[in-house]
Amino acid sequence: MSASTEPATRITPPTAGGRAARWPYLAAVAACALTALLCYPLARHVELANIVMLFLLTVVLLAVYAGRGPAVLAAFLSVALFDVMFVPPRWSLAVSDVQYLLTFAVMLAVALITASLTSGMRRQVHLTAQREREALILYETARELAGALSAAQTAESIARAARTLLNAEAVLLLPAEDGSLRNAREVADGPARLPAWIDAQAVSAVFRAGGAGSRGVDLGGLSGSEPSVHFLPLRAPMQMRGVLAVRGHVAPADRGQLEALASLGAIAVERLHYVEVAQRTQLQMNSERLRHSLLAAVSHDLRTPLTALVGLADTLTLPSNALSAAARATAETIRDQALRLSTLVGNLLDLARLQTGRVTLRREWQPLEEVIGASIEQLRARLVSHEVRVHLAADLPLVNIDAVLMERVFCNLLDNASKYSPPGSPITIEAVRSGEYVSVAVTDAGRGVAAADAARIFDVFERAVPEAAETGAGLGLSICRSIVEAHGGVLRLVGQATGARFEFTLPVGEPPAVDEDPSMSAVGSAE
Amino acid sequence: MNGQPAPVAVVIEDEATIRRFVRTALEEEGLRVVEAADAEHGLRELATRHPDLVIVDLGLPDRDGVEVIRDLRGWSDIPVIVLSARSTEPEKVVALDAGADDYLTKPFGVGELLARVRAQLRRRTRLGAEASAQVAFGDVRVDLALRTVERRGAPVHLTPIEYRLLGIFIANAGKVLTHRFLLNQVWGPNAVESSHYLRVYVGHLRQKLEVDPTQPRHFLTEIGVGYRFLI
Repeated sequence: MSASTEPATRITPPTAGGRAARWPYLAAVAACALTALLCYPLARHVELANIVMLFLLTVVLLAVYAGRGPAVLAAFLSVALFDVMFVPPRWSLAVSDVQYLLTFAVMLAVALITASLTSGMRRQVHLTAQREREALILYETARELAGALSAAQTAESIARAARTLLNAEAVLLLPAEDGSLRNAREVADGPARLPAWIDAQAVSAVFRAGGAGSRGVDLGGLSGSEPSVHFLPLRAPMQMRGVLAVRGHVAPADRGQLEALASLGAIAVERLHYVEVAQRTQLQMNSERLRHSLLAAVSHDLRTPLTALVGLADTLTLPSNALSAAARATAETIRDQALRLSTLVGNLLDLARLQTGRVTLRREWQPLEEVIGASIEQLRARLVSHEVRVHLAADLPLVNIDAVLMERVFCNLLDNASKYSPPGSPITIEAVRSGEYVSVAVTDAGRGVAAADAARIFDVFERAVPEAAETGAGLGLSICRSIVEAHGGVLRLVGQATGARFEFTLPVGEPPAVDEDPSMSAVGSAE
Repeated sequence: MNGQPAPVAVVIEDEATIRRFVRTALEEEGLRVVEAADAEHGLRELATRHPDLVIVDLGLPDRDGVEVIRDLRGWSDIPVIVLSARSTEPEKVVALDAGADDYLTKPFGVGELLARVRAQLRRRTRLGAEASAQVAFGDVRVDLALRTVERRGAPVHLTPIEYRLLGIFIANAGKVLTHRFLLNQVWGPNAVESSHYLRVYVGHLRQKLEVDPTQPRHFLTEIGVGYRFLI
């Protein structure tokens, strides 16, 4: 049963088989000679027809064990030997009885047909065994790949499978961060080094074209004895994952195996990719949670003493304490400074939240008017010395905003306006619809912002007037910009002759409809 | 205080310094103050002292302040003012939905604290008194019996929804009302997610009843929480 136990025949390079290919023919000659010799003594006792049978048996056995070629040789040889040694006149090719010609013809035909059928069956058995073995190797590889924890392990499995299946060398090439393709078995950080037989440009071309149904590139060897080189795209369900480079004597019939290996590799690499994504997400969630609890803790620890400071300074000014005017003023100053510190802390925490993490907006559709009113109310104490004018276009749509954050924007802009404009001067808030955006402007009548400062004004810790008596780092505008941008808008300083004008946009989107209820005639009919 | 016993306030707050200044301020206002440093003590004081007002911090060491409010609401309807931090609006909404009447955002001054306390005590007295059919705020007069609204003597036309909303605001004057509460009261339980309806109708009331709708004096917005109606 050499066929099933000798897979080496398959991976033996065809050019190295001169000697091995000859022996079945010698065996055929020997077997025919042996049959003739054994039959010779019997010729006197048995019918010639039975001797024909013995020769046919020899041909069948040869077909089974030596293959088609030797069996055909044996068929002709048998007829010749039968004619010469057994058919009268013996020891001559001549035939005395013409009917023996029919015997020869039938014998030859039967021998040839049997040889052909038997060797075909033999080849079928051989092929089936071969396919089973290949399927087994692919199955083993798939199992290994399912458990692979790294790209290097995946590459290792694929390479081993290519070696056992096709006696070929396989290299898994995966895209690195910079887009170049790297050998998956190399350290990720090192310089990319590819084996000399891999043409980096050709591989990149396969990788880029991979999505478009290319079957990869096959580069034949320079001569018949040179191994051929194949580049196969690793096409996974979601996207191209890399290229499988193979070098070896791969028969066109084995192309299917290569493609099976490539798709196994692609799925394994994709699985690894998603494992990594899942791990990264987990990590991100953990650090997000940590940051959140850290911010909450810092915020609580800072706010508690500030609350006590504001409150205790305030209680000093209660009438029952009967403080002198000077002491009273001091207590009020302590309270104001503590409140300012609290605003600053709030801004710092806001900024930390806005700039270090992804902001989650709690958006709801609402009229802008509401947020503006609440912001003015919030800052009432600080805006006493200014007249705040609000001009809102009548056709303003509802906007989809996070009201808490948007209130920060208005509060910061109003606070700035009150700081940098003289007491008694007006502060104006306007909002109009312009196309797909609502455009909002907060304008003061102060000194404005020098052109040189205009670019830096949104940077963290910048202030328009560095030496001004007013305190407060330039966090506010930076926060405003972050919030507006998170809403899909733009905040900018608009140059003008006097005062500062900050304009920002908010996308309109598609506001939900609100059904109006009919006017109630019963109401308002007072006498 | 004109022969009447001084109102009693229970202050449940774990920070001693904050408790101290709240006590000083409330005593200045003529209240008697009972302090508690955690929820357990607080609930015990609430049950035994029969106070007129509770001030409770949401971040207590042993239990969530919201639980204290839920517990209390099981057997009492005295005014509850919550102390909480800025940028914790959802927390405030939960506390209000659990039954709190108002909140103060830390840090707060004595003036703010006393204004809220006075408003809540007034509200309690008003609830106890015979409900009046006539309500006036700013230049607006509402007759709840005749269902009429006048502004500077001239009748104002309100739609049924606007009138219902106004009625709820008047009934809860001085109290912070969450979006959820108002939507449920006016449009029913299926509408509690459609807050834009509420905002649009509050806008209508402001247009019709406020001197400057962009800077309201009566229909105040509590950003991220709801509304407060001031008479």
